[in-house]
Amino acid sequence: MSEPVIALHGVCKRFGPVWANREVELSLFPGRVHALLGENGAGKSTLMSILAGRYRADSGRIAIRGSTVDFTAPAKALEYGIGMVYQRFMLIEPMTVAENLALAAGRKYDRKSIAELIKQTAERYGLAVDPEKPVFELSMGERQRVEIIKLLMLDADVLIFDEPTAVLTPPEVESLFAVIDRLRSEDKAIVLITHKLEEVLQLADDISIMRKGRLIFSERIDQRQISRQQLARLMVGRDVVLRVDKKPVTIGETVLALERFSGDSPLGGPAFAEVTLEIRKGEIFSIIGVAGNGQAGLVSALAGLSPAASGRVMFAGKIYTAQQWDKAAARDIAYIPEDRYHTGSVGSMSIADNFALTRLPAYQTGLAGFTLDREQMAADGSRAIAAHNIKAGSSEDRAGSLSGGNLQKMILARELTRNARLFIAEQPTQGLDIASTEDIWRALLACREQAAVLLVTGDLKEVLSLSDRIGVIFNGRILDIIDARDGNQVDRVGLLMAGVQA
Amino acid sequence: MIRLEKRRDPVRGRGFVAAGWATVIAFIVGCVIFACFGIDPIAAYAAMGKGIFSSFDSFSEVLVKATPLIFTGLAVAVAAMMMLWNIGAEGQLVWGGIFAAGTALYVFPGAPAWLLVPAVIAASALGGAAWSLIPAVLRAKFQVNEILTTLLLNYVAIIYMEHLFYGPWRDPAGFGFPGTAQLPEAAHLIRFAGTRISLGFPLALLCAVLLYYLVNRSAWGYQVRVIGREQRAARYAGFNVTGKVLTVMMLSGAFAGMAGMAEVCGIHYRLQTGLAVGYGYDGIIVAWLAGLNPLAIPFAAVLLGALFVGGEQLQSVLGLPSTISLILEGALLFGLFVGQVLSGYRLVMPGRSPDPGVAADKPEASV
Repeated sequence: MSEPVIALHGVCKRFGPVWANREVELSLFPGRVHALLGENGAGKSTLMSILAGRYRADSGRIAIRGSTVDFTAPAKALEYGIGMVYQRFMLIEPMTVAENLALAAGRKYDRKSIAELIKQTAERYGLAVDPEKPVFELSMGERQRVEIIKLLMLDADVLIFDEPTAVLTPPEVESLFAVIDRLRSEDKAIVLITHKLEEVLQLADDISIMRKGRLIFSERIDQRQISRQQLARLMVGRDVVLRVDKKPVTIGETVLALERFSGDSPLGGPAFAEVTLEIRKGEIFSIIGVAGNGQAGLVSALAGLSPAASGRVMFAGKIYTAQQWDKAAARDIAYIPEDRYHTGSVGSMSIADNFALTRLPAYQTGLAGFTLDREQMAADGSRAIAAHNIKAGSSEDRAGSLSGGNLQKMILARELTRNARLFIAEQPTQGLDIASTEDIWRALLACREQAAVLLVTGDLKEVLSLSDRIGVIFNGRILDIIDARDGNQVDRVGLLMAGVQA
Repeated sequence: MIRLEKRRDPVRGRGFVAAGWATVIAFIVGCVIFACFGIDPIAAYAAMGKGIFSSFDSFSEVLVKATPLIFTGLAVAVAAMMMLWNIGAEGQLVWGGIFAAGTALYVFPGAPAWLLVPAVIAASALGGAAWSLIPAVLRAKFQVNEILTTLLLNYVAIIYMEHLFYGPWRDPAGFGFPGTAQLPEAAHLIRFAGTRISLGFPLALLCAVLLYYLVNRSAWGYQVRVIGREQRAARYAGFNVTGKVLTVMMLSGAFAGMAGMAEVCGIHYRLQTGLAVGYGYDGIIVAWLAGLNPLAIPFAAVLLGALFVGGEQLQSVLGLPSTISLILEGALLFGLFVGQVLSGYRLVMPGRSPDPGVAADKPEASV
C-alpha cells in the first residue's frame, strides 16, 4: 500500500462555543477517491477549508508526505498541490475561460501556452470547454470544469470537491464522474464532500463520516461490501433521544393539507413531487431527509416564496390550486427559514427593526399606515429579549451582533408573536449549541398548543425528540409517513432517508 | 510585523472617520498640485479660505452652490439606499429645468406667484421623476443595469434641452443667443437678503428632513432599507421589490428635477447653456460623503460648494485653472472610499493579540 499524500493529525477548530472539528485524523492516498459524508453542520467543509488553507486549525497538524506544513493562505496550500473546487465557483464572470485561467496561473505561463495547456488538459481528462467563451455564458457544469482545469494547471495532486453535484444537471453529473475516474487513474488524491449515498457507492474507495465535528468512521472499503443501509445508519447515527418534556396536547382540526403537491427545480426536473400530507393543530409533523432531497423547495413553495407547479393546498378550510397558493397574499403562516443570517434577519439593522420584518403591518400607524410605530417596535423587541432570554444589550443592538443561538431565538420570538395557524421551522437548530437547541425545542413544543407545526430538518435526534408524525423525503417524494410513537417503525427512518424501502 | 486586520464590528461613527480621511487626503493631494504649479500650498489654501469667508456675500455663494448639490445628493442617496446607482441625476436635473421653464413660459405664463411657484416646483419634480422612470422600469422589469441607462440618458436629456432652446423655445427677442425668453417674474424664486440664495435653499433643507423622516420613520422607508441590505430577507418578508425600485427611482428623479428648477427659477431665470454643469455627478460625491444620511447631506453639499467657490478664487487671485477644484473633488471621493475601507480594519502592532471577535467567525460561514 502506498504512503498517504497528506495526513491530518488531531485537528481541532472552534467557532465560538461550537466545535466545528474535534481531534480529526484523516489520511488521503494517491489514486483513491475519499468520500467525506455527514449532515449539514457536521464540520466537513470546515475540515476541508483547513486542508485547503482557507482556515487555520486551532490545534493539530497537517503532514504532507510525512513532513509537517502550515498553510497560511489558499495559495500556500496550492503550492503544496492541494486545491479545492468550492460550491460557489471562484471565477470572474465577465472574463473568458482563458483569461480566468491566466489570472490563476500568475506568471507561470504566458497566454499562448495557456491556450495550449487548456487544450491538453481538456483532452487528457475529458474537460471540454471553449477557452474563448466568457464565463457568464457557461453552464454550471462548464464552470466547474474550468475550476478543475485551474487546479490541474497548478499541478494539484489533491483535489477537494465540495458537493460538486449540487448545482449540476444529471448529464453533467455523469460527465463529472467520468472526469473523477480519469483523475483517479492519474494518481490524484480526491476528496468528495457529499450528502448523496449513490455517489459514494459509485465512486468512493475510502469513506469517512463526520458527525458533530468528529470523525466517527473512516475506512477503506470495497465498494460492494458496504450497503446503503449501513452507510445510512453510520451517517444519521442513532443518538440517545433526549428526554424532552412533552406534555400531551389534544389534536385539533386539520390546518394544512397537501394533495399531490409538486414543484420544479431551477435545474430542471421536479424538486419535489406528489407530496400528499396533512398537518393538524396540536401536532409537530416532521419532514426529515438528507439535504438536497427536495425539502428546501417544498418549504419555499409552502411559504409562497417560489411557485409550485401542480397539486392542491387546503389551508385553514380553504382550497387553493398550486398557482393560487403562490399568489394568495395574506396567509397565516409563521416561518423560520434555514438561513437565519441573510433571510431570517437583516444583520445591519437593529433587533427592534428585525422584529418588524415579517410583521410590518402590526407597526403601521397614521394615515394609510404610512408611519412606523418605532416605540412599539422597540418595546416588543425588549420584551422578546427578556422573555426568550436573548443575550443582547438592548433592542437597538444590531441583529448581526447576536450569536447564532440568540439570533435564532429572536427570529423564533418574532414568528411566535404572529400567532399563526401554521408554524414552519426549517433546520431550526442547525449549528446551535445545546442550550439554545433546547430553548428552541421547548418553544416549538409549546407552539403546537396553538398551531400546527411543520418541522423540516435533517437531524434525526431532533425529529425523534419532538415529532408526533414523521414524513421521510427522498428524491423529492415522501416515501412514508411514520407515527413517532411506534418504536419499530422509527427504526426505518434512517433507511428511508437513504432511499431504502423495506 | 504591523498588519491590517479586519474588524468584526465596524467602528462607531464610521462615516465620520471616512469623511475625515477624505478631507485629509484631498488636502494632501491639493498640496502636491499647488506645489507642482510652483505655488506655496499654504498661500493657495489661504486664498481659497479668504475667497469663501472674506464677506457674507462670498459665503452666500457657497450656499448658492450647495442648493442644487443638496437636491442631487438626496437623489443619489435615496437610490443608493436600495443599492441602485442613479448616475442620471444630471439628466433628471435637466428635465426638471425643462418642465419648470415650460410651465412658467407656456403652461401658466400669466399666473400669479402664489400659483406659479408651487406649479414650477411640482412640474420640475414630475419631470425628473418621469425621466428616471425609464431606467427604473428597465431595471425592475428586465434587469437592465441602471448605471448604464441612467448615465446614457443624461446625454439624451442635455441634447433635447439644447434642441429646445436653440429651436422651438428660443427667445425671438434674444438677438440669436441660444436660450429661452426670461421666465415671467412670478416664477422667480424669492431671494434672501440681497444675495443669490433663493427659496431653493430652504426647500432643499426641507427635502432633506422629509427624506430622513421617510426613510427612518415610515413603513415604506423600512422596506427600502431592508431591500437595500438583504434582498433575500425582503423576499422572505414578502416585500414588493419591483414596486420599491420604481418608487425609489421616481423619488430620486424628483429630487434631481427640483435641483434643475432651483437653478432655472432661482439663478438663471431662463433655460440656457450652463444648466448641466455637473451637479448631478457631484451629487454622487455629496451622497457618499454624507454616508447616505439625509441629514448630513446639506453639510456635505456646503463643503463641496465651498470647494467650488474656493476654486474660482484660485483662478482670479493666483491665476490657477479653476479646474483644480475638480481635482480636489476627485481626491475627496477617492479619500472617502479609502477611508471607508480603512475604517473596516484596524492596525495590529507586533506582539499584540488579535481582535478576539475576528476568530469567532460565524460557524455557518464555514460548515
